[in-house]
Amino acid sequence: MCNACGFPARPGHWTDAGLTTPHDRLRARFSRAALLQRLLKPYGLTAHDDGLTGLRLSTLSGASVMVDGLDDLWTKAATLAGRPIDVL
Amino acid sequence: MTDTRIALTILGGYLGSGKTTWLRHQLHTGARPHVIVNEAAEMPVDDLLLQGAGGLTVLAGGCACCTGQPALIRTLRQLCDQRSAGAQLSEITLETSGLADPGAIVSAIQSDPILTHHLRLTRIIVMVDSIHGLAQLASDPLGRAQISAADQLILTKTDGTDTAQLQATLRHLNPAALLSATAFGSPIALPAIPAGTSPLTEFGTEAPQITATKLTLPDIDWAALSLWLSALLHVHGDKLVRVKGTVQTPAGRLLIQAVRRTVQPPEILPDHAENALVFIGHGISHTQLTASLARFTH
Repeated sequence: MCNACGFPARPGHWTDAGLTTPHDRLRARFSRAALLQRLLKPYGLTAHDDGLTGLRLSTLSGASVMVDGLDDLWTKAATLAGRPIDVL
Repeated sequence: MTDTRIALTILGGYLGSGKTTWLRHQLHTGARPHVIVNEAAEMPVDDLLLQGAGGLTVLAGGCACCTGQPALIRTLRQLCDQRSAGAQLSEITLETSGLADPGAIVSAIQSDPILTHHLRLTRIIVMVDSIHGLAQLASDPLGRAQISAADQLILTKTDGTDTAQLQATLRHLNPAALLSATAFGSPIALPAIPAGTSPLTEFGTEAPQITATKLTLPDIDWAALSLWLSALLHVHGDKLVRVKGTVQTPAGRLLIQAVRRTVQPPEILPDHAENALVFIGHGISHTQLTASLARFTH
C-alpha cells in the first residue's frame, strides 16, 4: 500500500495499454490531467496531477480528494459535483 | 450409409459473450473448420483474431438472421459448390453476430433446397456472459431466443461472479441443453449452485432498439480517447451493449473491446486495420458521439 495515498498497488488499467515507455505514461498522465481540468471546470472542480502520488480533485470551496484510477475518478468527481460527469 | 454432408456448427450468443475468444481457442487447439464470421456492424474486427481457420469468410454489415440472410445463404451455397468441385471442406463454423437469433438462421438453411442436401447441422453452441447474462435475459427477448435455440450453452467470465441464478434461469429456459463453462476457451468446472436456487421468472417484453454506429478516428491522441471512452462508459455503459474497434497508439494498433462498463485488456494487432470504433447499443446517436468526442479533443 502506498504511504502517501493509501491505495494498494493494482494491475494496470486498460487505458494504460498503448503506452510502453515511462515517458509515454508520464506524458499521458499530464495530458489527461489537462483534459480533465477543462472537462471538470463547468462542474466546479479542478484536477491536478503532480506526476508522483496521482490525481487530486478539488472543489472551489476547498474540498479535495485523491483518486485511484479512472473508474474511481468518475465516481468521486460525480460525488463532489453532485451530478454525473456526462461527456455527451 | 455414411453422411458425407458438410458439418455445420452455429456459434451464437449475445454481444460480447465470448464467441470469438472461444472459437479462437478451438482453432489454437487444432480445429480447422472453414469459419464464417457475421458482424452486424460494417467494420469487422473478429476476422483479425481468427487467422488459424481452414478458410475465412467475413459477412459484415448485416445480421445473418435477418438483413444479412441472403448473403449468408449465397456464401454457404458457394462453399457447397467448391466442395462439389473437389475442394477439401468437411466442416463449417458460423459465428453469428451478437444480434442474431440462431433459430432463424437454422430455419433459413433448412428451407433452402440446395443447402439442406449439402449441410448437416451438428450443433448450436450459445455463449453466455456470466457477468451480464442475467440482465440481458431479463431485458431482451433476443437473449432468451438465443438460449432457447441452443444445443449447448457455455458460460464465460465466471471468475468472481455468482452464477447460481443465471444457471438456474438457463436450465429453466432450455432444460435440454448441455451446460458447461470455459475460461478463455479452455473448459473449466461449472460453478456449483446451492440447492433450491430460483430461476429468473420476470422478463421484459419490450426489446430495446439496438443500433450500430461507427466512429472513424483520424489521428486521435490515445490519452484523450481513452479518457473520453472511460467517461462515456461510466455514465452510459448500460446503454452501450458493446464497443469494439481498433485504435492507433504509441505502442501499436490496439484492439478495444468493451461489454457495457467492462473493458477487456486491449491487445496489439497487426498494423493494417482502420482507426475506428463501433458502438452498439440503444439511445445514443452517431451525432451525439461525434460531437462529444470533437468537444473533448479540440
